Amino acid sequence: MEAFQSRSFSAAQVKAAFVRADGWTLGTIVLTLAAVIPVAAVVGIAFTPGDDIWGHLVSTVLPTYISTTLQLGTGVGAGTLIIGVGTAWLVTTCRFPGRKIFEWALLLPMAMPAYVIAYVYTDILEYAGPVQETLREIFGWTTKREYWFPEIRSLGGAISMMTLVLYPYVYLLSRAAFMEQNICVLEASRVLGRGPWRSFFTVALPVARPAVVVGVTLVLMETLNDFGTVDFFAVSTFTLGIFDVWMNMNNMAGASQLASLLLFFVILLVLLERFGRRKQRFHHTTTKYKALPGYKLSRGRETLVFIACALPVVFGFLLPSGVLVGFAVVFFEDAANFKVLGYAINSIGLSALAAVLAVGIAIFMAYGVRMHGGKILKPVTRVATLGYAVPGAVLGVGVIVALTTLDNGIDAFMLSTFGISTGLLFSGSIAAVTFGYMVRFLALSYGTVEASLTKITPNMEGAARSLGHGPASTLRRVHMPLMKGSVLTAAMLVFVDCMKELPMTVILRPFNFETLATFVHQFASDEQLEEASIGALAIVISGILPVLLLSYAIARSRPGQETAGQAT
Amino acid sequence: MKGLHIHGVSHAFDGLRILNNVSFTVPAGELVCLLGPSGSGKSTLLRIAAGLERLQEGRVTIDDEVVADPSSQVAPEHRRIGLMFQDYALFPHLNVLDNVTFGLPAAKSATARARALDLLEQVGMTDHIEKYPHMLSGGQQQRVALARALAPKPRLLLLDEPFSGLDTSMRAVIRKETVSVLRDSGVATLMITHDPEEAMYMADRIKILGNGGRVLQQGTPSEIYYHPVDEFVATLFGPVNRFEGIVTAGAVESPLGRIDTAGMDEGSKVDVLIRPEGLMLGTENGAHGGVPVEVLSTRLLGNSNSILLKRAGEDGPEFQARVTEDFDPFEVGPILARIDARHAFVYRKEEAEPGPGPVCSQVKYGTTADQGGKA
Repeated sequence: MEAFQSRSFSAAQVKAAFVRADGWTLGTIVLTLAAVIPVAAVVGIAFTPGDDIWGHLVSTVLPTYISTTLQLGTGVGAGTLIIGVGTAWLVTTCRFPGRKIFEWALLLPMAMPAYVIAYVYTDILEYAGPVQETLREIFGWTTKREYWFPEIRSLGGAISMMTLVLYPYVYLLSRAAFMEQNICVLEASRVLGRGPWRSFFTVALPVARPAVVVGVTLVLMETLNDFGTVDFFAVSTFTLGIFDVWMNMNNMAGASQLASLLLFFVILLVLLERFGRRKQRFHHTTTKYKALPGYKLSRGRETLVFIACALPVVFGFLLPSGVLVGFAVVFFEDAANFKVLGYAINSIGLSALAAVLAVGIAIFMAYGVRMHGGKILKPVTRVATLGYAVPGAVLGVGVIVALTTLDNGIDAFMLSTFGISTGLLFSGSIAAVTFGYMVRFLALSYGTVEASLTKITPNMEGAARSLGHGPASTLRRVHMPLMKGSVLTAAMLVFVDCMKELPMTVILRPFNFETLATFVHQFASDEQLEEASIGALAIVISGILPVLLLSYAIARSRPGQETAGQAT
Repeated sequence: MKGLHIHGVSHAFDGLRILNNVSFTVPAGELVCLLGPSGSGKSTLLRIAAGLERLQEGRVTIDDEVVADPSSQVAPEHRRIGLMFQDYALFPHLNVLDNVTFGLPAAKSATARARALDLLEQVGMTDHIEKYPHMLSGGQQQRVALARALAPKPRLLLLDEPFSGLDTSMRAVIRKETVSVLRDSGVATLMITHDPEEAMYMADRIKILGNGGRVLQQGTPSEIYYHPVDEFVATLFGPVNRFEGIVTAGAVESPLGRIDTAGMDEGSKVDVLIRPEGLMLGTENGAHGGVPVEVLSTRLLGNSNSILLKRAGEDGPEFQARVTEDFDPFEVGPILARIDARHAFVYRKEEAEPGPGPVCSQVKYGTTADQGGKA
């Protein structure tokens, strides 16, 4: 009897596991495969022997790509670290006029794509620009040889541009870490005789380190992803190399090989980020809200702190957007035309499509994981959402490789079966661009939706199911209304990132199809920033939406802060 | 036959057995309580009955329809059951009325509204139909949850610790109301709880689920209370006095008198359990009888006195007694104690038990449950 029971027991378990392979599970696995294919295709092509230019690349440009990328990464990493952590510390712990405003204003540069600010600064700082012209007028110089002025279109220039718009990642995460620190620890340090500066370096910073690591990692991912700036400044990074080999040498294998090597760096970054996040958990144990110390400053120091916080905002956001607004007003007749309107419609349509799809897929996958437990599906979804780390250029190449293979397959099949040649169905279509966006930005929507879903008690679906509603009806009538806010947030995040997206769009777009980003890049590269100003402004304005949302969320997340802040 | 039938249900999580060949019936119109300590698998059993947990082994039928066996599962939404959660799980985005109509076909129809209003009247919530769950007190939320679960006229109602979220004063009121609403509806109800008093109050029948997921005893509240099958069940209702003895001449000798052990072998080792309320105290003047005892301390617990005593003039074990009358043993003079046989239980000692059993009279679920599992 006992033996019989245990046998039927395991049979039941087998059965149970089998029954679980239903629509949600299958769907999630299929979607994940789709998300992984571009990266797999890149690596696959890279290791397929063919018209190999790897040897050629290694002996010529590769060392430059590596050293330039490393220099760029080091520079931007260091720059964002100093500005991000510094401003976060000042805003969190010091009391000075305008602190309340800086808390959110320091996030504004996030709305600026690096390539837009690069165009603006080039326009201002190049030889024919207003700054050098003024200098020449003042000092009576007439030629370039008579004085030295830093060249903006250089590696240093690229580092500055990216630092100016990427430091908010570090600011955001380290500020959160500083705020979540148990203030008693800091006070203990003060009581033990360490001044504010030593307390910062010996207590606050080490405790916040995991968050800072995550912030810098995100910055580096964005740096590797950048195409517009390095293209405009002709800084030979990996991403630019991929484009060069792809577009100019027309060599798919070479581009894939470069992309694979870049992927290797990205994997290191992902591991670093995971490591940082894992350690972060230890430090988020306190739930105590306590007014932050709020160091009182002398008049002189107050001014210094104010300037330190104002500089990143002015140079990262106010000045460049001011210039763009100026251009847009002065050159309104050249800049505002039906062509730009068309590009805007393209951008908005494409981004909205991608946002809706990304959120839909995210809801599908997150709900599937929730219903069927995470054992199989959770690791699967983690793979599906890795695209955020993969640079757009790499994904773009991967999508093309994958879709071309698919198109050729369909074509061959149709030709042999029906005698019809279908040609290229997906490659170079809107579908290809949307697919690329989806792979890259799924992590954004998935993360947001999943976080929101975990806040809903499982008893909600228990109640709905026992009241006669199936999984789909439960999702629609219970979870969707409860997640409404987060779903909108997720859609907006994806929408905005798609509006800004440049490298994948350049690779994947249909012939002669322009979005605001490609149009701005095109015109600005041809030194016609004035005509692209309205388009650039449109991108910036859409980028402000999530910044506002973020600052709202931050303000709400710490109830104790409201009164403490108003006391200043 | 109408009602819920659980047949030989076993369940394991990661190789750990939670339920072990559990079988019982909840007939239509009856309220059955599943009573057990946390970790005894009672929640899992409830979730299996609801269809929220996949059945691994056994069979579940509702009104003669097989809703779960290892080869097929009826989804929870097709079982026509009502389920009330410990946290009530009211939908926060819907008001009271919409919560109650949620499970009704054509929720917006006049019929659905009428049905919901009818139930809300039964639970006394008619004045609050426009309110949202966060605006309600715990007791009000419980009422709405009950109305919501009953609105679709389920064949079976499952209650998961329905009163544990309420404070003590509220609990008694809500409990009484709930019993009356359930009686009126005549639905077969399975309720799980870890509170013996709650089970005694609510249930027509109680099933005791011990650790290791085995049903130890089933019966009416009085059967369970006066005839517990083993130490584990006996000690569910509170701490007991406990000592060991040997059967001689059909009884076991205790410092406070002999206890009848009909049907036990002469000379066998036994555990003796006496509830504190099983020690009856009286004065020498009354026609009470018993052995003289010495009172060591007395504590007023509100509605009863807890008294620590031992047999007068001996260095024997101490006993805990509970008496309800207003009683000051230090004033009334010499005290006699005798054992009320209804509250004294004798169990054969486990021979295989290595070493001495627990001698502390304080009950721990873990140790006694282990013995119960091996019985």
